Amino acid sequence: MTAPLVAQPLVAIENLTVRFRGAQNVHAVNGVSLTLEPGKVLGILGESGSGKSVTLKTLLRLLPESRTDIGGTVQVDGRDVLALNPQDLSDYRGAVTSMIFQDPMLALDPVYTIGEQIAEAIVRHEKIGRKAAMARALELLELVRIPSPERRLKAYPHEMSGGMRQRAMIALALAARPKLLLADEPTTALDATVQIQILLLLRQLQRDLGMGVIFVTHDIGVAVEISDRLAVMYAGQIVETGTVRELLRDPQHPYTKGLLAANLHGARKGERLEAIPGAPPALNEPPASCSFAPRCKHAQERCRAALPPVVTLGEGRLVRCVLAEDALAPA
Amino acid sequence: MAETPTLDERDRGGAGTPLLEARTLTKHFPLGGGAVVRAVDGVDFAVLKGETLGVVGESGCGKSTTARVVMQLIAQDKGEMLFDGEIVGGLSLSLKEYRRQAQMVFQDSYASLNPRLTIEDSIAFGPTVHGVSKQAAILRARDLLLRVGLDPARFAARYPHELSGGQRQRVNIARALALGPRLVILDEAVSALDKSVEAQVLNLLMDLRQEFGLTYIFISHDLNVVRFISDRVMVMYLGEVVEIGPVDELYDDPRHPYTRALLSAMPSMDPDNRTMEAPLAGDPPNPINPPEGCRFHPRCPQAQTVCAKVKPVLATAGEGARQVACHMEVAGSGHSRAPKLEEAA
Repeated sequence: MTAPLVAQPLVAIENLTVRFRGAQNVHAVNGVSLTLEPGKVLGILGESGSGKSVTLKTLLRLLPESRTDIGGTVQVDGRDVLALNPQDLSDYRGAVTSMIFQDPMLALDPVYTIGEQIAEAIVRHEKIGRKAAMARALELLELVRIPSPERRLKAYPHEMSGGMRQRAMIALALAARPKLLLADEPTTALDATVQIQILLLLRQLQRDLGMGVIFVTHDIGVAVEISDRLAVMYAGQIVETGTVRELLRDPQHPYTKGLLAANLHGARKGERLEAIPGAPPALNEPPASCSFAPRCKHAQERCRAALPPVVTLGEGRLVRCVLAEDALAPA
Repeated sequence: MAETPTLDERDRGGAGTPLLEARTLTKHFPLGGGAVVRAVDGVDFAVLKGETLGVVGESGCGKSTTARVVMQLIAQDKGEMLFDGEIVGGLSLSLKEYRRQAQMVFQDSYASLNPRLTIEDSIAFGPTVHGVSKQAAILRARDLLLRVGLDPARFAARYPHELSGGQRQRVNIARALALGPRLVILDEAVSALDKSVEAQVLNLLMDLRQEFGLTYIFISHDLNVVRFISDRVMVMYLGEVVEIGPVDELYDDPRHPYTRALLSAMPSMDPDNRTMEAPLAGDPPNPINPPEGCRFHPRCPQAQTVCAKVKPVLATAGEGARQVACHMEVAGSGHSRAPKLEEAA
């Protein structure tokens, strides 16, 4: 076997589709492709129901498999995640890819101390004894800068404040030294002054440990603080990708523009906001045309007739819109 | 617009009298065993006629309890409120009459609607309690639905679960307006909505303020939205007001160290100029047994001896439109950064 010439991406998702079966089917993810280089941070920006969390959960196979149809391929660190057998899957979870959530109270077990929970995760993945694992757990609490870590090792989740629980959950997620950290709105429930502390902590840990991070959020400000690149999702599809700078300074997709306006980016007091009318579509059918067309002021006949093209504007700079295609076409 | 009484008709105190004045409002919740949550602790503020007063602060600062006391959903332990110059619950302004004039919209659009009433019945309920005939109340409800952007023919007979979050919040706004109030308290009213829908509802709120001559108290944790919609802003910390003033002045030149910290915790929105340092460490403390002196002193980078001993009072600072509760603003307070007495004279 020859070594690959090009460095392998840490994450490569190709044409991912996720459909939940039920009385009404829900097409939550409709053809998502993305890559993440090792040690980089990708922010996925989108509103409720855009498929951002579902995409993230697919990377850990957290979706209920009996009721979910998943198509496409998901590669993480050279593994075919969708094909892992139960044993390999549980080796993979935590050690290669780990995840932090919005609500640490739900992610932590209320009847075990923080130390016991972290040590359990370490023992599961490494051949070390309980005592050594506890020592590592202490190091991890120091790493996430929990004050008086010795005491907190023996604390139960309910004995900690919100920001401290969030730090404990991050320590737990890092227990088995993952290469990829998935973050699902981890700062959304926090107060402003605590949110910025957690964001700065994550940024530093990511840099120090060289982890890849996929950070899902609905908050553009948060995404800008933490991400190298952004992907904007709407109705189960990525509508635009680029660096943070490119998306903020030169948004191309009408939805991205609307989202920036709705975040009061450049809004002037007293003037009406340029709000996107209407609401996101129900996803009972897979999209056959542009999902954003019903809310788009630039919508044309062809937007409603067929799926819009994915237009490449540059390296890693994609826009799913006919307008971008027109702009590229020679005049 | 015959059914919408104009501001002038009901105005008692004249344009110069604040629509609402809160004086040393206090609400404590005893926990048993001697512990007391000092949720709201001697809060003074005024809401001027036709303005939007933004209220910001973190968990436990007392902003929602303040709203509930202002709405008289819970009674204060101490202090009083004047509505257009008259004492709320006093001889000339009964509680029932006050509640016609002050209404509230909550964060959870679903929990604040009766799931077994159609939305037109929900909107019409308040007016019928206040003596309007059912028929007239339903007509008014449909008119209000139209004004908040919901077609009555499609929506009037629906139940809350048949609506999206944004639509339900429009219904709650319509219901709040059904009695023709002058003051509307919006407690995180747009916080649960997706950004694209939030912008629509903010536009609606601005239109309605104009159309009905409303005064808003806008409570939110979202500092961007507060800056956008408010005329003046009040900053709360552990049950007290630490700073209040015109919105742009306060955002551009915050004077209280807590206001400075809160504003600099906002994400920068600039990839080339990211936030490098968190302004405060740790979580906001809880309002049980708050610290002596200035409540912010244990976390304040400029705290000195006086701050731990003496409680600063809210006092005019700078050109006069701003009030700040900080020893650094008061001449002769004993803080080394305070203006010298001679200079102040």
